Amino acid sequence: MNIRTVNLTRTFRVGSSEIAAVKAVNLELKEPKLFAVIGPSGSGKSTLLNLMGLNDYPTSGNIFVDDADASQLSGRERRRIRNTRMGFIFQTFNLFPTLTALENVELPMSLANKSQEVQEEKALKLLERLGLSNRRDHRPKQLSMGEMQRVAIARALANNPEVIVADEPTGELDSRTAREIIILLQDVNEIEKTMVVVATHDEKIIDVTDKVYTMQDGRLKAED
Amino acid sequence: MLFNGQVTVVSKDAIVVQAIPISGGMLPEDSTVKELVNISGVATVTPVLFVTSVGSQGMVQAVPVNFTMGIPVDDWGLVLGPIPLRPSGHFPANDSSNEIVAGASIADQYNWTVGIDIRVNGYTLHVSGVFDTKMALLNRCLVMPLTLAQTIYNYPQSVNIIAVKPLQNIAQQNLTTAIKQRIGYVSALTETERNDIVQPVLDQVQTWTLGIEAVVFVMSLILVMTVTVMSVSERRRDFATLDAIGAPMSYIFRVVVIETLLIGVLGGIIGVAFGSLTALMLASFYTSIPVTLFFPSVLEIVPPVYMLEMFTAIVGICCLGGIIPAVNAMRMHIAEVLRAEY
Repeated sequence: MNIRTVNLTRTFRVGSSEIAAVKAVNLELKEPKLFAVIGPSGSGKSTLLNLMGLNDYPTSGNIFVDDADASQLSGRERRRIRNTRMGFIFQTFNLFPTLTALENVELPMSLANKSQEVQEEKALKLLERLGLSNRRDHRPKQLSMGEMQRVAIARALANNPEVIVADEPTGELDSRTAREIIILLQDVNEIEKTMVVVATHDEKIIDVTDKVYTMQDGRLKAED
Repeated sequence: MLFNGQVTVVSKDAIVVQAIPISGGMLPEDSTVKELVNISGVATVTPVLFVTSVGSQGMVQAVPVNFTMGIPVDDWGLVLGPIPLRPSGHFPANDSSNEIVAGASIADQYNWTVGIDIRVNGYTLHVSGVFDTKMALLNRCLVMPLTLAQTIYNYPQSVNIIAVKPLQNIAQQNLTTAIKQRIGYVSALTETERNDIVQPVLDQVQTWTLGIEAVVFVMSLILVMTVTVMSVSERRRDFATLDAIGAPMSYIFRVVVIETLLIGVLGGIIGVAFGSLTALMLASFYTSIPVTLFFPSVLEIVPPVYMLEMFTAIVGICCLGGIIPAVNAMRMHIAEVLRAEY
């Protein structure tokens, strides 16, 4: 999947003033590389990722997904892309508390109308690969932070996405667990050939990324 | 149905609810019966003494606990219709016997069985039978020969209701007109008129009930909606995550509505059970009859159709109350939720 942004701008109205979280960002994510978007809090990293993940609409400018203008896509098409071609990892994991680890991983496949057998087989494989086979029937509250983020990664990989969008995936984790998660994301990128876009403060991620973008006051600059 | 197909004659100053004089108005038995028999169009005349239980202060109870009916033995079938008795029971042999037949509810309450003797107002009475019917009035009734009732309750030669059966080709309305013209001190009522007396009261009760139901319906709807809106709001991150991972809007809508539907089904079962139990307890409270005696008749007190109506209403309210929160859930997007959180 290729993602390209052209003069991407997102502003928010706060009271009577308008705040531009993302200002005229031009960006092209082409190959299955591991990209990092870094920058201080409030610099617009998460907003940019939400726009590229089709979870938000730009105020102006365009996002192209494989040369298709995202603004021309219907809500249903955007959902289908998010479900089948993208995977999301959040800082706070966003697992469903009433579902087990296995069910959390199965959910995106269920939404993609895959059969129960396929869902279970794939979810078990992913949990095994992420070292969570023995935690398959545990609910999020019974898991450690690192385990929760690994379940979230398994969920993001469930539908074999072409791109993983990870917003501060190590933000809630201690340094050792954060390191494990970074290695996992690197593996996903190298083995699955999945593009990974990470918004982060974590310097350790920068060491393993192919390209780093820095956000400052909503503007983007690239660093290799 | 008591007095089926018959005209009832009561004293003019009697207060009558349906066929039953609940207060005032005794009639001289012999002379009234004689006059009625002589009216053309009359087939049979049956004098009845109907006594309701009285409270400790001698006041008429709003909900009488039990009743006594004195009826000439030969005319029991005319007044009561074909009512079966529990096994081994029999109807009193003659008008001078001290045999009585008890309603099933009273018999169960006091452990009366066929063949035992009981004391009422200082008289020893022999229980010759127990009615085997679920008719509410007869369930709480002692039926005995008329003369025995007149003696026990000290109403010699007096009755308070006379059932008059018209000849086959005589309309009840014509007969009541004739009776009122002939006997100045009585009031005669056709079956329709008897029902018409209480119909306005029943209509008013129904109107009030409908009003209360409507208020409860709206309040429940608001309550369910508020609780579900709060519940959805507390789980906004979950719904936004569902949206982020590509769940269709209809899926998110279904999640919320099915949740409220399940709450409705559970609430409906608990509500109907609790409501029925409350109805039985209220009936027990107002009549001083042990609540356990009402259990076998729970489906008469709270009919299954009514239970089903209530259940459906509860489930309906819950589903309806889930619609707005479901629409709210559908509109939750991860970007907005995360922005609000950080």
